[in-house]
Amino acid sequence: MNEILKFDNVKYFYQTKDDEIFALDNISFNVLEKEFVSIVGPSGCGKTTILSLIAGLLKPSSGEVILDGSNKIDRKKIGYMFQRDMLFEWRSVWKNITLGLELQKGKLDEKLALAEELLKKYNLYNFKNKKPRSLSGGMRQRVALIRTLVLEPKLLLLDEPFSALDYQTRLTLCDDVYEIIKSEKKTAILVTHDISEAISMSDKIIVLTSRPARVKDEIRLNLKGETPLRKREDSSFSGCFEKIWRELTNEEKSENS
Amino acid sequence: MKKKAKIVNFSLSHKKYVKKLRQDKFIVIFFRIFVLVAFLGLWELLTYTNVLDPFFVSSPSRIIAQLGDMIASGTLWHHTWVTLYETLIGFFIATVLGYLIAVLLWWNEKVRKIFEPYIVVLNSLPKIALGPVIILWVGAGTNAIILMCVLICIVITTMTMLSAFVNCDEGKILLLKSMNANKFQILWKLVLPSSMKDFISVLKINVGMSFVGSIMGEYLTSKAGLGYLIVYGGQIFKIDLVMSATFVLCILAFVIYSLVSLLERIYKK
Repeated sequence: MNEILKFDNVKYFYQTKDDEIFALDNISFNVLEKEFVSIVGPSGCGKTTILSLIAGLLKPSSGEVILDGSNKIDRKKIGYMFQRDMLFEWRSVWKNITLGLELQKGKLDEKLALAEELLKKYNLYNFKNKKPRSLSGGMRQRVALIRTLVLEPKLLLLDEPFSALDYQTRLTLCDDVYEIIKSEKKTAILVTHDISEAISMSDKIIVLTSRPARVKDEIRLNLKGETPLRKREDSSFSGCFEKIWRELTNEEKSENS
Repeated sequence: MKKKAKIVNFSLSHKKYVKKLRQDKFIVIFFRIFVLVAFLGLWELLTYTNVLDPFFVSSPSRIIAQLGDMIASGTLWHHTWVTLYETLIGFFIATVLGYLIAVLLWWNEKVRKIFEPYIVVLNSLPKIALGPVIILWVGAGTNAIILMCVLICIVITTMTMLSAFVNCDEGKILLLKSMNANKFQILWKLVLPSSMKDFISVLKINVGMSFVGSIMGEYLTSKAGLGYLIVYGGQIFKIDLVMSATFVLCILAFVIYSLVSLLERIYKK
């Protein structure tokens, strides 16, 4: 499989008036096409920084981020999904999902057809002309995902997209998103602090240390099960959880000492 | 919601609840009208029986007579139109200009920081203090009045809109940036539409403020208008005239405010 993303010894410093914050220290990893990779780490360790670097919203202080063979980030290859759905309340569902096409002046018939198809496929077509306020939290996140998919990104960046939802919606949406990503054959990077979510969805998990973040461990997973919910029943699930849990708690202990 | 409500069979307690709501609403409207009628009635009664001297406080019947005279002679329309014209022009110029300045200041952070203290000072300066200067610059008359009106409204328009623009959801800006939007697109697709609510409250504030501006302008320098009538009436001790002009002013402000509210309701749909 082709390599779609590569971090090569990336360092990143945040500059503030009276301090320089060392956020990322020599981060190296890669993501292959159609892989689902999760990044877990103690809170505030710089997970979102990594996504911002991939999206080209930040530039690495040193080292290289190579997206699809080039170190010049082409944002058209990226789809970014946030913790909050960021739907525009004054636009209808349809106007929300075609927002990116409007920006890129790419309201081509085929793209619009894709948008319609995705709406139908994920049971939102009846809400096409509704305003987001009449949708439930889970539906809103699905709209946000479709808004991202319509642009046909090569790489999806998911920044804790489920953490604002209640537990039940969260598990269901997890399954939905997983299925959508797999059936659309997308590559995805998920940032989360929920270990079981990471295990149930990913092909690979990258565990980060506390700040400045380094790659502590890379874990390849091979859980049986069609959906994330089924994968939670796999026998190796708890062992995996145990391992990552210990790695993260050790981090926090060493941080406190 | 209304459609749903028709299908459901309501329980007795719900019917009672709805009935009570309707009763409460009726009571509010009834007493609203009652307060007005009582106030006018008492006023009329006290002046009719000479407990209060109508020379100083006027009376409803005298105001009606005064308005009748002015309608018959056609002067009421003239004065009302003059004030309305000044107010609307001032309102329009101040709103558009203030809005554009706010956009400009949002666009360039350095410019914004440079002008911040000046805007704060201008905001707290009582604009009436500029009266003599305005007359010297643009001459006595309609222009001076409109300028006064603009000065009063424009600073608050700029300040309110600018703070609405600056407080735009950072996350949504980030979303647009991740979709490769340029600054103009961020302004046009996000910052302006998301601040519509604030814009409508600015319009509401400006309705009141632009009347303050035009009446104050007419106090300073005028040959016609409701403010002119009030000053003139005061000078010749004709309180009926002062009260009549104030009454018309109340109605005018109410009508324009209702128009803005209508605009708000249309937008909310």
